[in-house]
Amino acid sequence: MFFKSKPMWGKKTQLKSSYDVVIIGGGLHSLATAYFLAKDHGITDVAVIEKNYIGFGGAGRNTAIVRANQRTQYNVPLYKEALDLWPVLTKDLDYNLMFNNCGNLNLMHSEAAMNAARMTIATAQFHGVESHLIDAKQAKEMVPALNISEDITFPIHGAMFHPPGGVIRHDAVVWGLARGAAKRGVEIHQETEALSIGTKNGKVTSVTTSRGTINCKQVLISAGGYSAALIHSMLGIKLPISVLTIQAMVTQPLKPLLNHVVSSGAYHAYANQTLKGEIATGAHMDPWPNYTTLNTAHYIKHQAEALSEFLPCLRGIRFMRIWGGLADMTPDMAPIMDGNNQVEGFFMDCGWGYFGFKSCSAVGKYMSEFIAKNECPDMLKPFALKRYEEHRLMGETAVVVNYTPDN
Amino acid sequence: MALTITCPVCGKRNGYEFKFGGEEKGPRPEEKDLTPKAWCDYVHMNQCVAGVQKEWWFHKDGCGSWFTIYRDTTTNLEKEAGLANHQEADKS
Repeated sequence: MFFKSKPMWGKKTQLKSSYDVVIIGGGLHSLATAYFLAKDHGITDVAVIEKNYIGFGGAGRNTAIVRANQRTQYNVPLYKEALDLWPVLTKDLDYNLMFNNCGNLNLMHSEAAMNAARMTIATAQFHGVESHLIDAKQAKEMVPALNISEDITFPIHGAMFHPPGGVIRHDAVVWGLARGAAKRGVEIHQETEALSIGTKNGKVTSVTTSRGTINCKQVLISAGGYSAALIHSMLGIKLPISVLTIQAMVTQPLKPLLNHVVSSGAYHAYANQTLKGEIATGAHMDPWPNYTTLNTAHYIKHQAEALSEFLPCLRGIRFMRIWGGLADMTPDMAPIMDGNNQVEGFFMDCGWGYFGFKSCSAVGKYMSEFIAKNECPDMLKPFALKRYEEHRLMGETAVVVNYTPDN
Repeated sequence: MALTITCPVCGKRNGYEFKFGGEEKGPRPEEKDLTPKAWCDYVHMNQCVAGVQKEWWFHKDGCGSWFTIYRDTTTNLEKEAGLANHQEADKS
C-alpha cells in the first residue's frame, strides 16, 4: 500500500534492462552520488536500487550531527567541503534541510586529551576550519547544564569548540537529494535487492536484482553497513571492515537547555537537543560485530549513567525511543573509496563507520566525478584500499578510543 | 542484543565476559616469502558475513581460554558448525 502511492520524489518508473550506471544502496552516499552525476556530469541514465526503502539504513538512523573536526590532513578538507555544501544544497535542492549551525563541544577529561585536542585544533586551523580550545569554566558558560565539578567519574578539564558544525534533519537530506536526483532523470527503485554483479574479462557487465538483470558498465556499491558483506559475496573482495551495531536514543521533550552538540570520548556519549526538545543521544558500539541493529539494556544503562553525570539535570528523565544502526568500522577510522581497481567499472564507497552522514554531500560530489571521468580525483586518492597493504593507515584513530575489535 | 557464549572450560556464560578475537582466518602465514598482500589479508581483511561465521573469542573475565565458535551475526545466537556461511581458509 505504502509503495503503491506516488513516491514523494517524483514519478514511479519501470525498471529498465540497461542503465549507464547502477548504484546499489538507497542511502545518502548513493543518492548524493546520483544527484551529482546528473547535475555536474550530465549522466542521467542512472538507477539507484534499494532493498528496503530510501533512508532505511544509516541515513535515517544517525544522530544527525555534522562536523569537520577530524584528525588527519586527508579527512579534514573532505568534511569541511561537506559542511560548506549544506547551505548550497539547501538552495540548489530547494528543500529545507534544517541545518542548525549550533557548533560542537567535545569535552576533554584529562590533560592527555587536552593535548590531543590541541593537535586536532592545529590541523583544523591549518585547513581553515574554525576550532578552538576552551577551559572548563568557559564550557560551563556556554552550556550551563554541564557539571564541571571534580567529583564525577571523568571530571571535565576543558573542551574543543567547533562552531561550523551542528545538526541537520537527516530525513530531509534523503528526501531532498532523492527529489533533486529524480528531477534530473535518475531512477530510484525501492524494494529491489541486488543479488549479484556480472563480470566478463575483468569488466562489469550487469547487476542481477530481485526484479531482473540490468546491463551496465559501471556499478557503485555504497550500501552503508551492508557494503562489506555485499562486496565480498558478490565479487570475493575482502575488506578491512568490522560491522557493529551502534545504539541511539531520545529522551522525552524538554525546555531548551542544550544549544550545542556536546560529546565526550571518555563517557562514550554525545547529545544534542532536537528542534522538538528531545535530547538525542548516541552511545558506544557493541563490542562484537553483528547486524542485529537491536538495543541492549547494557547500553541504555550506560547512556543514562553517562548523561546524568555530566548533565546532571537530566537525572530522572525518561528515554522515549531507542534504536540501532550499523557502523562499518575500518582499523584506521577512515573510509575506503576506490574504483576501477579490482574490476573495471566497479566502484566502492564504504568503511565510513559512524562518519557516513557528515560526509555524504562532499563524497557524492567526488564519487560522481570518479565515475564520470573514470579517474580518481585527488581528494579521494588517499582513501584507496591498497593503503592497508602498503601499511599507510591513517591516524584518524587518535580521535577516539579503540572501537573496532581489530585494535 | 545480548549474547551468551559457550566456553570450552566454563560452559555457557554472558557474552560481556568475553573479548571478540576476530574472524577465523586460518593459520598465521609463514614468514618465509611473506608478501605485504598476504600479511595484510591475514591481519586486516574480513568476510563480514551476515549469517553464520566461525570466529575467535577470549574468556577475559574467566578462565583465559582462546577458542572458536560459530555465531549467526544477524541474531547473535551460537550455531552448529554445519550451518556456516563463512568460507574456511584454504588449508593447503
